[in-house]
Formats: sequence, structure tokens, C-alpha cells
Amino acid sequence: MSRHVRVAAAVLATLVAACSRAPRPDGGTAPAATPEPAVISAVTLFFPGEDGLLERETREVADLAAPGPARVRAIVAELIAGSQQGRPAALPWAATLHAAFVDRAGNAFVDLSAPPEGAIEGTADEAAVVYAVVESVVANCPGVERVQLLFDGSEVATLGHLDLSRPLAPRPELVAP
Amino acid sequence: MRRLILPLAAIVLALLARGAPAETILTPQGPAEVYARGGQFDLVEVLRLTGAEVLFAPAAGSYGAVLGEREVQFTPGGTLAVVDGKLTALPAPVRLVDGRPLGNAATAGTLLGALGWTLRQGGRGWELAALAGGERVTVSLVRDAGGTLLVVRGTAQQPRIVAVPGQVGLLFATPVALAEPIRPDGELLGGELLGPQLVLRLKQGVTVASSYPLADPPRFVVRLGSESQVAVEPIAAGRPAGTLVVLDPGHGGDDQGAHGPGGELEKDITLAVARATAARLQAAGVTTRLTRDGDAGLALAERTALANRLQADAFVSVHANAYRGKGVRGAETYYMNVDASDADAAAAAAAENVGAAPDTVALILWDMAHVANLNASARLARSIQDRFNELQGIKDRGVRQAPFVVLTGATMPAALVEVGFLSNPTDVKRLTSASGQDELARVLAEAVLAFLRDREAAADTGR
Repeated sequence: MSRHVRVAAAVLATLVAACSRAPRPDGGTAPAATPEPAVISAVTLFFPGEDGLLERETREVADLAAPGPARVRAIVAELIAGSQQGRPAALPWAATLHAAFVDRAGNAFVDLSAPPEGAIEGTADEAAVVYAVVESVVANCPGVERVQLLFDGSEVATLGHLDLSRPLAPRPELVAP
Repeated sequence: MRRLILPLAAIVLALLARGAPAETILTPQGPAEVYARGGQFDLVEVLRLTGAEVLFAPAAGSYGAVLGEREVQFTPGGTLAVVDGKLTALPAPVRLVDGRPLGNAATAGTLLGALGWTLRQGGRGWELAALAGGERVTVSLVRDAGGTLLVVRGTAQQPRIVAVPGQVGLLFATPVALAEPIRPDGELLGGELLGPQLVLRLKQGVTVASSYPLADPPRFVVRLGSESQVAVEPIAAGRPAGTLVVLDPGHGGDDQGAHGPGGELEKDITLAVARATAARLQAAGVTTRLTRDGDAGLALAERTALANRLQADAFVSVHANAYRGKGVRGAETYYMNVDASDADAAAAAAAENVGAAPDTVALILWDMAHVANLNASARLARSIQDRFNELQGIKDRGVRQAPFVVLTGATMPAALVEVGFLSNPTDVKRLTSASGQDELARVLAEAVLAFLRDREAAADTGR
């Protein structure tokens, strides 16, 4: 959902609330519950760049979930929604997020639908997929230090090259300066 | 009998003379005494009871036990072992006491299990026995449009393939049993179980083209081809004298790797470059082995295991890259990474001696035990990248660290080189032409030779 659509939805919700004040038996009007204004937060996502490195993309998100699994889900959902600046998809298939959870050791686990065969080729492409998720989640989810990718509910050893059998920490050298 | 009594008498006398604490273990050959102290066994002595050859590799700081085609490596101070190239957690750490690697019964049992043996406490004390075949498998021949397949049903294991003219051996990590005799059928002349290895005899001229596991139900498939189509040569079992380098052509068999715009396959390019590099290294007097010398599938862990088994001086995995943006090009070289945050977590957990993530801690302990190799791996990667940077028209993408499966568990300096991008029109010309491949092989061979020269110079000067 784009920012414009979200803002429009918030305005519409405010108007509907204003128009639906129920008449009271005494003929008065019940005080309207003042809608909480949407809290806008800036998040930084990582998408494949032109030089084979990940590039930062900052966007504003309304009512970002509190740190924890819900925040992880929100960040991955933003990543799946794609770049707003024309960059290639971080996850180059019709990926869906099955689940996300966080343990007490600072590891986040992100369960995605598995990529079809041939969707990811080459180390650079594979690293872009894996570390787009790792960097985006760690950058926006306080308390999360590492991320492990799961596919269709299962641990996978690798997508071809990288060891995905354990949570991975960010690798700043894979991000464009 | 005399052959048995004399060595036992010698052991008993020796133990009496030094007053060493000992534990009796019943073996198929009779009782044997091994050094044991406080419930901790001398792992070298226990492993040798199986007939395994157990050696200490000073460079890696680790012990290696080889029994037939099986191999396990472990490092004092660590709680991980490398079983045929794959990291395996040990129940308790191996401790070095009085120059002996000691481990409890559970740890000894895990190491023994990797060699196909078990240690258990029975009514007569500790007993050592060969593992009985657990899974019962069947072997059948299936023909499809692509040719002939050997299908092994009844196991989810991915056996190591040992192919020689006229037969193929499937080496299982856990021994299996045959549910029924193998009947001759077409290219399959017969087969039998020899310990952990299932040996299948093939018609003359037939060999392995590729292999892969399938699920639901679990089965292992070996695709057959003719020797004229593929040239699969097993890596030599013994380690030749002198410096030895293992080159790993990435992918192979059904795993084609990346694809070029004209249908070029990464697996073909890596094999061509690795072969040409091997020829140059051999000509320079460096014994070189390939993990595959044909279009054969090989699991990532098996590639590292082969290099470990040969105690190679260096291991280089050769790959060609791909990326969605066609403008991205150039060579880049990787070596295994240790995350600083992981190291901090390991250090904290070790200091507190409490839970944290045991796997992470163990992995880092393993990494720390191999820090010397890590530094050497960095020098190897730097040497490779520097030489590639000298190639005209090639773009330097630098040396990087990443957790590559094929580099995990390597007990020698190891690097992975991406020699160019199949997704880039400029790179693809170099990658697919004979002259371009020869040029890549030349610089890769020069890089490995420079690394070996520097290493020897460092050893001479005591650096």
C-alpha cells in the first residue's frame, strides 16, 4: 500500500468516525472518541542495487508495530511490497510471509514461501536475497541481531551457496556506502 | 591366539609400569584397555580399536580418524566434529589433558558412530560393536526419457558416490541393509553391501552421470551415462607426497548453476577453468586434484570432505556469478566469515558457562580453533583477487567474507572465487571462450602458486 493510499485511508476513517456520532436519549450528542492520529515512522529497507550491492531505501510507515515479531512481520511485508524507487525486487518471486518470530537470544526467524527453482542464480543474487532480509530486519527491529530464513516452515541448509542453517548477522560490506 | 595375547600382555605391562588409569572395553577381537580418567576416555585409543587410522594434524590443530571411506575430525577444546566434511555437534567438549584428547562416553560414541561403530555399557562393561544396518533399502533400475536411473529406496541418506569404471559405490554415513538381493537388469549387473558401502556393478562403458536425492518417499537416484559422455574419476584415496591443492569446479550434474544468455552453463565453465588451472599447477610441480572431473553431481559437504581427507594444503572452489542487473561484472573472492557479534556471544557464553545458543557457541569455538586457517584463507583469497585484478578489462569486486557451505568445515586455507558474471555480456565472452577460460586458469594458477610460495617463505622465516 502506498503512502498516499494510507493517508487517504486515515482521512476517510476520521470522516466516518465524525459522521457516525450516535444521538443520545437526552437529545444530546455523545462525545466522539477522538481517533488517535496515525504515528508515522521512518524505516530503512535494503534492495538490490545497480552494482551488486544492497542499497538503502527509507520510507515512512504509519503505525509501525512495536518491536517484536509483529515489527519483523511489518518490515518483511514492506520488503515484499517492493521498492518505491524502482529498484529490483528483494525477493524475486511471488514471495509470501508465512510467519515471523523472535527468540530471547536476539534471533529473528522469517518463514517465507520457497522460491521456485531457477528464481535465484549466482552468489550475488543469492546474497542479495538473503541479506536484503537480514539487513532490513536488523536495521528496524531493536533487539534483533541475527536473522534466519525459513522456507515453507522448514529450515533449509542453503539456496545453493550460503549456509542458511543458522541465523546470520548483517554484513555491512554487502551494502553500498 | 598368540597374536592377541602378546599385544594385550604388552598393554597390561605398560599400564602397570606407568600406573595409568584405564578402562576395559570389549571389542570383537577381545577385551582392550584404554586410557580413561574420571569418565573421560582417550579418544585416540578408543577410535583406534575400530581399526581406524588416527592422526593429529598440527597445522589444523585437529585429530582425524579414517576408517575405509569414512572420516571424522575433531579439535580439543571444541564441541564440534567434522564428519565427512559436515559439522556435527558433540554431546560434550573434547579436552586435552596430559597431551591426550579426552571425551566422555557420549562424545566417544558420536565419533565412533561416524565411523560405523557404537560404544555402549552392557552387563559386561563397555562394549564396542559395529553398527548394524538400520535402514533396509532396495535398488531398482528405472528408465526415463533422459536415460537410465538407479533408484535406491528406503533411505533419506545422501550417500557419497565413488565411481570407477565398471562399478559405482554408494557410501552411506549410517550403514544400511539390503531388503532383497540386487538382481541384474540392463546396465546393472548386480551389487552387494561391503560395510557401509553399497557396490553396484555396471556394464562396461557405463558410469555415473549425476546423482541426487528425492523425497516422498525418500529415495536416492543415480543417473547413468556412458564413459564417452562423462569422465568421472574418483579422487585418489591416499594423500600424495608434497604440496597438494584441491580445486572444486562448482555445481555439476543436475545442478547446472547459473545460466548465460545463450544457454551457457556455470557447471561447464567451472569445470573447464578448474581443469585448465589443474594442468598449470601440475606443470609447476604441485599435485592437484579435482573434486569432480566430469559432469557429476556432488554435495557441497562432500567437496570439503574430499579436501579434508587428502589433507590438502589449499582448497579453491571455482564459480561463475549471476545477478539481476546485467551491468554488474567482475571477479570477487570469498573466504569463510566469523561474525564479530557471534564471537562476542561465544565469549560471553563461555565466560558465564551458561546456555546461549549451543550451536552458535560450538560453531565459533570451531572457528576460533581454526583461526590460523582463517588468516591463511584471507591471504589465499587476497592472492587470487590480486591476480584477477591484473587481468585486462576485469573489474575488481574485492575480497569478501560470507558463510559459504562449501567452505564450512574445511581444515585448510580455503577460498571461493567467482571468476565473472554470466549475466554480463562482457564477462560472458571471457567465461565461454577457450582463450578466456585459459586466461582465467592462468591467473588462478599463478595466485595459488604465489600463495604456496609465500606460505613456505613464512615457514622458513618462522613467521
